[in-house]
Amino acid sequence: MKIKEEMKGDILVIAFSGKVIGGPELVEVKEAFQRAVDQGCRKVLLDLGKVSWMDSSGLGVIVSGHTTLSRAGGALKILNATKKIHELFIITKLITIFETYTDEQEALDSFGA
Amino acid sequence: MSFPSDASVLEPVQQIVEAIGRSADVEEDELSSLSVAVVELVKNAMEHGNQNDPDKMVKVSFNIFPNRIRFMIDDEGTWEPEKALGFNPGEGDELLSTRGRGILIARNLAKWVEFGLTPEGRTRVTLIWPLT
Repeated sequence: MKIKEEMKGDILVIAFSGKVIGGPELVEVKEAFQRAVDQGCRKVLLDLGKVSWMDSSGLGVIVSGHTTLSRAGGALKILNATKKIHELFIITKLITIFETYTDEQEALDSFGA
Repeated sequence: MSFPSDASVLEPVQQIVEAIGRSADVEEDELSSLSVAVVELVKNAMEHGNQNDPDKMVKVSFNIFPNRIRFMIDDEGTWEPEKALGFNPGEGDELLSTRGRGILIARNLAKWVEFGLTPEGRTRVTLIWPLT
């Protein structure tokens, strides 16, 4: 799995790519969410469009990010969840927690000013 | 096939399961669902059956029948999933748990997931994947 971070205005866009299959690399992701909060960022958009495979480990780290952002008064939103990842969000009912988008500009706009 | 209880084997397991599925003519679009279901059960076996001890093995065996694939995942423990997990991820406050969704996902992706014991009294999970 690879992680790419990019600021777009006051929104941090984190993009995963490859397989999200567990192991030490997920610690890196948790740290990315915490680092964002520590640096004052409260708006994070997670782009899953290039994730080829993900299981419950990936969901766990996304939930962790949601909790980290929410406690700081921020929000984590999801962009470009593939059909398979969307299915996992439905199975686990996490779809009721996360706002999901397929259009990046719409997602960025949803955070407001 | 036997694997040590170490996260580094999960990707090879995923690849092997998809190769098995492909050889049984599982549709390309469904291969990742099959591998997610099996990998979730392997991870549970590593954690709950083997306490993530790399010296303890998880055995994965399979049979391809005309209308289904059967995977069996054996660990070295005797855990009972509902007791071991102790909660129902996806409900109430536990919706925001960072873990514990593996069996829920496996049971939803596969048509049949059953927990039992091997003849030696170890935990065995059987997953049935129908072939259309």
